[in-house]
Amino acid sequence: MAERPLPWRTAWTIARRDLSARFRGLRLLLVCLFLGVGAIAAIGTLTGSINGELSSRGREILGGDIELKVWQRALKPNEVAALSAYGRVSQGLRLQAVARNGDRTAPVALKAVDGKWPLYGRLALEDGRKVGAPPPGTVWITRSTAARLGIRPGDHFLIGDRPVVAGGIITAHPEQMSEGFALGDLAISGLELPREAGLTAPGAMYRSATRVRFADPARDPDTVVDTLKQRFGDEAFDTRTRKAASPATQRFVDRMGEFLVLVGLAALVIAGIGIGGGVSSYLDARRGSIATLKVLGATSGDIARIYLLQVGAAALVGSLAGLVAGTAVTPLLARALGALLPVSATLTVSPTALATAAAYGLLVALVFAAPPLVRARSYPALALMRARVAPLAPDRRALLVPVGLGLAAILALALASAAQPLVTAGFLAGSAALLGLLALLGVGIRKAAAHLPRPSNAILRAGLANLHRPGAQTGALVTALGFGLSAFVLIASVQTSLQANIERTLPARAPTLFVLDLPQTGVETFRQTVAAALPGARVAMVPNMRGRIVAYGPRDHMTKVSALGKEVPDGAWALRGDRGLTYSATVPEGSTVTRGRWWAANHTGEALVSVDEEFADAVGLDVGDSLTVNVLGVDITARIAAIRRIDWRTMGFNFVLVFSPNALEAAPHNLAATVEAPPGASSDRLLPRLAQAFPSASVVETGGLLKDARALLGQMSVAILAAASVAVLAGLAVLLGAIAAARASRTYDTVILRVLGASRRQLLAMQLAEYGVLAGVLALVALGAGSGLAWLVIVKLFEFAWLPDWPQVLAVLAAGLALVLGLALAGSLPLLRAKPAQALREL
Amino acid sequence: MSDRLVLSHMGLVTSPSQSPDSAIAPTIHAHGLKLSLGSGDNAVEILRGIDLVVPRGQTLALLGPSGSGKSSLMAVLSGLERAGAGSLTVAGQDFARLDEDALARARRGRIGVVLQAFHLLPTMTALENVATPLELAGTPDAHVRAAAELTAVGLGHRLSHYPAQLSGGEQQRVAIARALAPRPELVFADEPTGNLDARTGAQIVDLLFARRAEAGSTLLIITHDEALARQCERVVTLADGRIASDTLAAHDVSDTVG
Repeated sequence: MAERPLPWRTAWTIARRDLSARFRGLRLLLVCLFLGVGAIAAIGTLTGSINGELSSRGREILGGDIELKVWQRALKPNEVAALSAYGRVSQGLRLQAVARNGDRTAPVALKAVDGKWPLYGRLALEDGRKVGAPPPGTVWITRSTAARLGIRPGDHFLIGDRPVVAGGIITAHPEQMSEGFALGDLAISGLELPREAGLTAPGAMYRSATRVRFADPARDPDTVVDTLKQRFGDEAFDTRTRKAASPATQRFVDRMGEFLVLVGLAALVIAGIGIGGGVSSYLDARRGSIATLKVLGATSGDIARIYLLQVGAAALVGSLAGLVAGTAVTPLLARALGALLPVSATLTVSPTALATAAAYGLLVALVFAAPPLVRARSYPALALMRARVAPLAPDRRALLVPVGLGLAAILALALASAAQPLVTAGFLAGSAALLGLLALLGVGIRKAAAHLPRPSNAILRAGLANLHRPGAQTGALVTALGFGLSAFVLIASVQTSLQANIERTLPARAPTLFVLDLPQTGVETFRQTVAAALPGARVAMVPNMRGRIVAYGPRDHMTKVSALGKEVPDGAWALRGDRGLTYSATVPEGSTVTRGRWWAANHTGEALVSVDEEFADAVGLDVGDSLTVNVLGVDITARIAAIRRIDWRTMGFNFVLVFSPNALEAAPHNLAATVEAPPGASSDRLLPRLAQAFPSASVVETGGLLKDARALLGQMSVAILAAASVAVLAGLAVLLGAIAAARASRTYDTVILRVLGASRRQLLAMQLAEYGVLAGVLALVALGAGSGLAWLVIVKLFEFAWLPDWPQVLAVLAAGLALVLGLALAGSLPLLRAKPAQALREL
Repeated sequence: MSDRLVLSHMGLVTSPSQSPDSAIAPTIHAHGLKLSLGSGDNAVEILRGIDLVVPRGQTLALLGPSGSGKSSLMAVLSGLERAGAGSLTVAGQDFARLDEDALARARRGRIGVVLQAFHLLPTMTALENVATPLELAGTPDAHVRAAAELTAVGLGHRLSHYPAQLSGGEQQRVAIARALAPRPELVFADEPTGNLDARTGAQIVDLLFARRAEAGSTLLIITHDEALARQCERVVTLADGRIASDTLAAHDVSDTVG
């Protein structure tokens, strides 16, 4: 007698024989794994290739191994000498300027570079040349600048009042990523041009950027930066290294990556529920086969092996398809993200990402398929002789090993690969809690349905009985419906919140032009020029200079910003780098003082400052505390006299810090102005006149900026929607599976009721009664769980305002409910259409 | 044949002291078998103390009205259900001591079961259905033997057909081939003709007896059919969970069938 278990080979022979070639019955498992693994594979491949790109191309993106930036001055000779010790040094300037050709003007973001630029990579021109700095008197421009000025390569035009030649059209600029979004089209000139064009006079808003290419490529850039800071002081310059060439992009990618991982995990949890349900109904449908095999001598261990192999085969096929689809879809995602991210839309295969996705998929399949498999082991052979016998008590201890180990492995995998393990752990805990809650709710609904007074209407009674009778699918339905509807609410809340944020961030009414670097003496000329070229335009002018916050807090123990390192508090972005500063005798337009008092118009004595409320709250500042800023190398300490709420929707001059005039007016500075054209009027005539009257001023057109920002946020919301829809698709698949399983379990009743004379309408009413009760209860759960999760995503992850459009969210939820009821009813239609006699034969 | 064997043959000697591993050990040796379903106040006694000894190679018909416990007795004797009390030795195995899995292993190759509703595996061809118990028992030439068995029951031309493509009679032939392919010591048949018309039923019975004779198996048939019962060497009638009569062949059983 063979006491040993069935050899795997024989088990596979029997399993394969019993397995439909088209995986009939296991398709829900297949689809769920396909979606879950596909989502994780795509996410892993995408974030992997972005991070790979950012780190491998760090030098090219930054244009050096380290970069030092200073506002309104070039590096001092001793600073340059210190940098030269590490390798080749390239110096440059960044500023806004206006390009002119006769009456045609175009604001440009001017980048002036020395002969050593670029230290890494080359600039690509439209004519195919790969070049460095342009020869003196020549400027590389973009296609759109050329079009606006009506010039072609070789033509002359002006920058400020300096004639230059368009040397070529830029097609690819290696450092674009690290330089962020420019306030105008890029123009690259030699280092001498800004000075010759009078754009770097004292007080002008320009920034020098100096890069170093290390002689020893292996040298650690962070050590060099630390050495430089020790020598010249923490506040001497803004620094960046090739390791974090584009911190803004990196931050965005990290945050997006974290969100996508959560979406992937959500898809997996939902997929897991589907897998559990799918395997459960598959094995239920196999009860007869299992009992027959047992009659023929198969032990419960043999049964477990045979069906583990079947489920495993389906899981493998689903996972493989998911891996293929996840890889294939990455270039499309990259294209959808477009300019947001430094990722090429080519097919990349990331073995780590694929292995992780496959591991997740198979582990989730193991954890969720184990309970039905263990239950199936205990289907008694006797089931063949008595129509329906209760299964033997499942061996719960047999579950401990696969489920326990599987869960531990998933947790370890998730935490090991998470950038923010706490968020991930919290999410997993939340999912487990939601699963637990839904399981409890399932039990509760069953019990409640069993104890409710029996309705006198037979159909209602049958509908209610379906919820609690032996073998009822209530638990599975509650879980699937709960997760499915929650996903609907989540998507609707996230989407409407994002939309509202976009609308709130981008004002309906915005100035037409920002003008920087107007000399203090030019106030009247400026007003007259605007009035002549654009009658009826509103003009606002403020003093403008740059400075960085170096310390803040109570006067006797102020916090030094340099001591914070990278741990800048949430919402305290104003602590990073240089900020625009201004002074004003009165409360600026668009601001409301919420605490403290504004200073008198003729205030003298102690320097005072007013701080934005959000910033003050983020760093814990209050009226009476102090703040030190460094302006052009001079530290200025002021006492906080007032805290303001800024309405950021007025896209005017919204300064986080506004000083009393006596604090700053002595520092060299220019003015900044906004011009708001009357509705329908064009600024086309104003631009050339301004350029002529103020050749050293720079102009930023808000139209293009707003368009860019709108496009950017639009792409972001498309990306989020695309990612989240994977979870919704998984939810829908699970929903369909649960309904199909529930339907199978009551085919018998439906047929018998038909034989007894129930009309189709009555049977539909029975279904409606059952699903109506479930959907109604779960809609409430979904509203809570879905919006809670959406709040987490919007507020904690993206740091946006929580602005869901509730009517729309409720409408989407109602649509979800309608879908559930529709699916449930549609699922029973074939049965209702069939003639009773025929249905009986098919039972 | 010794006196002792004759007596046990008659179902009259049921002493538990009888040695099951003697050279002439019976295939089934049951004493005081009891079975209840449900528990507490809801418990229903199905078998109320069955004593039964079946010698090797015997054909036995189990008669009795519905609810008399025939199917339950067969379930217990074939190891599909464990008795609540009593001792049971089947094919040399002490069934009372075996758990569900050990009972499954004990069935392998030794006990064949034919059921009224055929219970073929719908996803497998006729050949695969017959080969499965052989494979479970680790028989190396499972497919060759399965094909031979199917040919022997007249289905050599239907090897690759699925159950749904076969008539009821053909399906029951496959079930018989499946039960007899491992040359089992003991074959149970629960109303094997219950789902078939009279003519097909008669053919199936002939086939079952013929194949059993070739294999030398003990055969225990549950039936309502007196004609079928008369073909057996021995007829045991159950009533209310107890053996009401136990007679040798050529005996009129009409008054014991409910």
